[in-house]
Amino acid sequence: MRNTESAARVSAVDMRQILKTFPGVVANDRIDFSVEKGEIHALIGENGAGKTTLMNILYGLYHPTSGSIYLDGEERQFTSPIDAINAGVGMVHQHFMLIPALTVAENIVLGCEPRKKVVFDYKAAVSGVEEICSQYNFTVNPREKTANISLGMQQKVEIIKALYRGAEILIFDEPTAVLTPQEIEELGRVLQDLKAVGKTIILITHKLKEVMAFSDRITVLRSGKKIKTVNTADTTAEEVTYLMVGRHVDLAGNRMATKAKENILEVRDLCLEEKGKQLLKNVSFDMRRGEILGVAGIDGSGQNELSDIIAGFRKATGGTIQYMGRNLLSEQTRTIRERGVGLIPQSRHEQGLVLTMNIAENLILGHPQRKRFIKNRVFLNNAQIEMFARERVDSFQIKTPGLRVEASKLSGGNQQKIICARETGETSEMIIANQPTRGMDIGSIEQIHKVFMDARNTGKSVLMISLELDEVMSLSDRIMVMHNGEVMDIIDAATATREQIGLMMVGHVPVPQEKRCPDEW
Amino acid sequence: MNGKLKTILLPVVMLVFAFVFASVLMRLTGNNPLLAFGAMIQGAFGNPSAIINTLNRAVPICICAFAVSFTRECGIFNIGIEGQLMIGALGSTIAGIYITGLPLAVHLPLTLIVGMLFGMIWAALPAAMFIERKVNIIVLFLFMNNIASYILQYFIFGPMKGAGAAMPSTDLIQESARFPYLITSPNKLSTAFFLVFAVAAILYVYIHKTFGGYELRATGKNRVAARYAGIPVKKYMYLSVLGPGALAGLAGSIEIQSKYFRLIDGFSPGYGWDGIPIALLSNGNPVAIILGSILFAAMHVGSSNMQMQAGVSSLIVEVIQGFLVLSVAMERFYRYILSRPGRKKEG
Amino acid sequence: MFEQSIIIVMLISIVRLSTPVVIGAMGGLFSELSGVMNLCAQGLMTLGAFFAMLGTYYTHNPWIGVLCGIAAGALGGLLNALITVEFGGNQNLFGLGLNMFAGGVTAYFMRVLFKSSISANVENLWNTSFLRGIPLVGPILSEFSPLVYIGIVLVGVVAFVIYRTPFGLRVRAVGNDPRTLETAGANVWRLRGLCVVLCGMIIGLAGAYLSLGQMSLYMDGMVAGKGMLAFIAVKMGQYTPWRITGMALLFGFFDALQMQLQMSTTIAFPTELVQTIPYVAAIIIMFLNSKVDMPKAIAKPYTKQKYNV
Repeated sequence: MRNTESAARVSAVDMRQILKTFPGVVANDRIDFSVEKGEIHALIGENGAGKTTLMNILYGLYHPTSGSIYLDGEERQFTSPIDAINAGVGMVHQHFMLIPALTVAENIVLGCEPRKKVVFDYKAAVSGVEEICSQYNFTVNPREKTANISLGMQQKVEIIKALYRGAEILIFDEPTAVLTPQEIEELGRVLQDLKAVGKTIILITHKLKEVMAFSDRITVLRSGKKIKTVNTADTTAEEVTYLMVGRHVDLAGNRMATKAKENILEVRDLCLEEKGKQLLKNVSFDMRRGEILGVAGIDGSGQNELSDIIAGFRKATGGTIQYMGRNLLSEQTRTIRERGVGLIPQSRHEQGLVLTMNIAENLILGHPQRKRFIKNRVFLNNAQIEMFARERVDSFQIKTPGLRVEASKLSGGNQQKIICARETGETSEMIIANQPTRGMDIGSIEQIHKVFMDARNTGKSVLMISLELDEVMSLSDRIMVMHNGEVMDIIDAATATREQIGLMMVGHVPVPQEKRCPDEW
Repeated sequence: MNGKLKTILLPVVMLVFAFVFASVLMRLTGNNPLLAFGAMIQGAFGNPSAIINTLNRAVPICICAFAVSFTRECGIFNIGIEGQLMIGALGSTIAGIYITGLPLAVHLPLTLIVGMLFGMIWAALPAAMFIERKVNIIVLFLFMNNIASYILQYFIFGPMKGAGAAMPSTDLIQESARFPYLITSPNKLSTAFFLVFAVAAILYVYIHKTFGGYELRATGKNRVAARYAGIPVKKYMYLSVLGPGALAGLAGSIEIQSKYFRLIDGFSPGYGWDGIPIALLSNGNPVAIILGSILFAAMHVGSSNMQMQAGVSSLIVEVIQGFLVLSVAMERFYRYILSRPGRKKEG
Repeated sequence: MFEQSIIIVMLISIVRLSTPVVIGAMGGLFSELSGVMNLCAQGLMTLGAFFAMLGTYYTHNPWIGVLCGIAAGALGGLLNALITVEFGGNQNLFGLGLNMFAGGVTAYFMRVLFKSSISANVENLWNTSFLRGIPLVGPILSEFSPLVYIGIVLVGVVAFVIYRTPFGLRVRAVGNDPRTLETAGANVWRLRGLCVVLCGMIIGLAGAYLSLGQMSLYMDGMVAGKGMLAFIAVKMGQYTPWRITGMALLFGFFDALQMQLQMSTTIAFPTELVQTIPYVAAIIIMFLNSKVDMPKAIAKPYTKQKYNV
């Protein structure tokens, strides 16, 4: 039985009244956050709630605008990560901080390399790593090139990195984002091992399942403020969601019963080879009108390549794609879009928007009916452009002071909405959505899910690629699981289980015929 | 600070700093900067004859600046202008000398077009290597510039060697290929002057008012997103390099057809290089480009007077050129310094 | 006594002409591996050559001249560090700007000091006379400037530093992913700045070789295309010291070829066209080598938060 704060006992981590502002935004609004030694404490909140900012302050990457940090009762000032590392704080980042070209050992010792006079002592590095591996039962090869190991392994390398530097406090930033269900269980065991030797663990996450399963206590942040700290044992997932969002939430949308329709897309034996590697191997599947086909798989299983090829951005090295009865592979991107294919690409800044152009200009980017916006064969028809942009902004409730505002000035969620508004218009028959709700707040996610569901209900098709298994399972009619460039299986979403999908995500052969999807649902 | 104000203020500040730096340099070498700049202004604007001289000089500089600016809209750095200008001049001279028997109304435009074509061809190889194979285009352009000057020398000292001229050059081009003069006294202003405005207008309208210009700009700002959107990126990239190549050829042709009437060794004092800082500072604004070109032309024209009266080498102009390009690279530094007075220090 | 056969003459010529490119490329390697494009090689080399001449002119000691050249290069590198590393300026623009600026400033001072585009003759470093005593190859080896030998040693030193020291490891890391290095606690800007200054110093040395080792004076534009060749040799050599040296020797070969053809009386080529050979060759080599991978974070400035105005 633990109390939340005890005056007699000193906390391992005590952050008091942390205020952090950026131009125009208060990321952390006077937050008090404390963690006891040896506990696993989850810091939870939606995207943009301020959790990563708070932990970046603890790790010395950011300086607080005001407020103080105490470790084991002693006040600390961190001017850079070196100070935090020396104080025993380690961080396992969401996007792994690893150099693919270097070996595991080189990555782990980078920044505190063992030396023999002037030369880099590689042998000492390797043995140092092996020592930690044996202590925690990690099966990682120190001499392997980091580019060649799995994401789950890479996360272990990140953990070893922190332990190598003597971390007593470990911060995990969205650790389960790229893991399969089995790897998530494995992580849970690792966390217990770390806890057993007295390490203090902070988990930053927005995934409720892991929070309820792994943590001892939970602190909820919302819009930069701390809402509450509770014992995990005393609360439920619904209560935590309510604290996180401030209201009740229904993410699954409104699925209508429909009759099976004909195929809109037929992919046969699609292959992609590049620099000697087979990125896609004999991918075959059909997609029907009026369905949402979810694509599950760990990052790098070929989903990006698949969506790039269908959108015309890349050329396949083998196979065929029939869209609405005609061959898609030989066409240019422009023609494909004119035929009704919309694409929400996975990186909104690099692939989806021209940040230095304004909202209206971004909304007409690559519009299939561009003749609408052209006057007299060459000139821009500004009146039509404004009309169209206004309609889209209203329809999607994009928060902006005006149509001629630069896209870079909008929040991430609103930027994503621009892309969705553009690609899911009335001219789109088939929408390829590659991680469409990444980094969005729950309200916007609800909105996008509704858009997809409405599209599906009116006979359009959505190929939804997502790394969030919950999203895929709740939204899809059928689920296609990819692994290593291959399609493992396509199953009915209604009867699929996480374990089943998780096994396929790492390449286990799928279960036999009975579980496959029927012809009518 | 207001955004619009910043866009105008910043280039002006950079210009001022450049002249300040030049003054410091002059002081270091024992010269009087005020005297020097005064002599420069005198030499460039002191009398109507000088003003016309300056305007004449401004024409090729201006067209080159527009050429660089257009390529910038697509995110590429066309520093091959100098070479394209030279090859364009070569083409124009060939068409001007060896095609005979045509009336002015036909020969003049024909020669111009040949010059533009030559300039465009000279830009084609670097363009293709960059667009298709991602080879470093800046280095390619620089090498092409060097090769171009050798090629011109070859023709001038070799097959096209002119008879009885004071300096190394070719024969004179036909009368029918020469630009008529607008006014001849106190100095000769060529009708080629109007071409500058034509170029300015066409480019401005295309870039900002047409759908093609919109797609070009999108390609320049985010090539990847433009590709995903289906915009034919390669087509626009070729346009943005070959078009300016033709413009550079035009500038070279104009020089030959309105001023020298023959191809002279070293006829270009670096018009292509002047175009670069002007285009960078103007950020696409045609008025700024025209004004900037006049400024640079004034510097060139006035520099001989400056040398005579104040003993300052005319090479100070090159120093200012380089300083300005460095300044544009330092943009963030300038912005930081300019915004310091009004801001609290961030953490 | 060795007969000066055409092969020997060519070999000597190749070594002489490649040296500035080899040295320059070694400097460029540090810069590019750490993620900063070295387009300013031309300007740095110009500064090195000019100030090496100037230093020798005033002190009559060519080795002091060399030090001056290196110092000038270091200053150029410092400017680079300020503008592109600290403030995240566009590296291509800086390179171009420095090239133009250095060309202008040196030409200006030439007029002020010497009233012409060619400087006075200064003491040079043409020969390494103490090598003459070595049997058989002595007379040939002594034909080379001591700076050539320094260059050869430099290649080995650079290779050692990059692959066998922690510094080299971090340099390779920062060119791939600066954020990773920052979270490991290293100061990305200091590291890059150091690399860039080092690059400036080494290229300054290359410039000093041009004015003191190859010639005995400074001339406007004497750097010619060598700076650019040093720049692209790094990529063409796939960022490894030995391949880069090979590439530089290849460039040197075409340069030597061009010179021999100009001087030869048996084959009559128009000299102007002959002079284009090195550039044409370089373009062809660039075309054939276009598929090289560059360090992932190259030319992407990594800005500090406080400068985001």
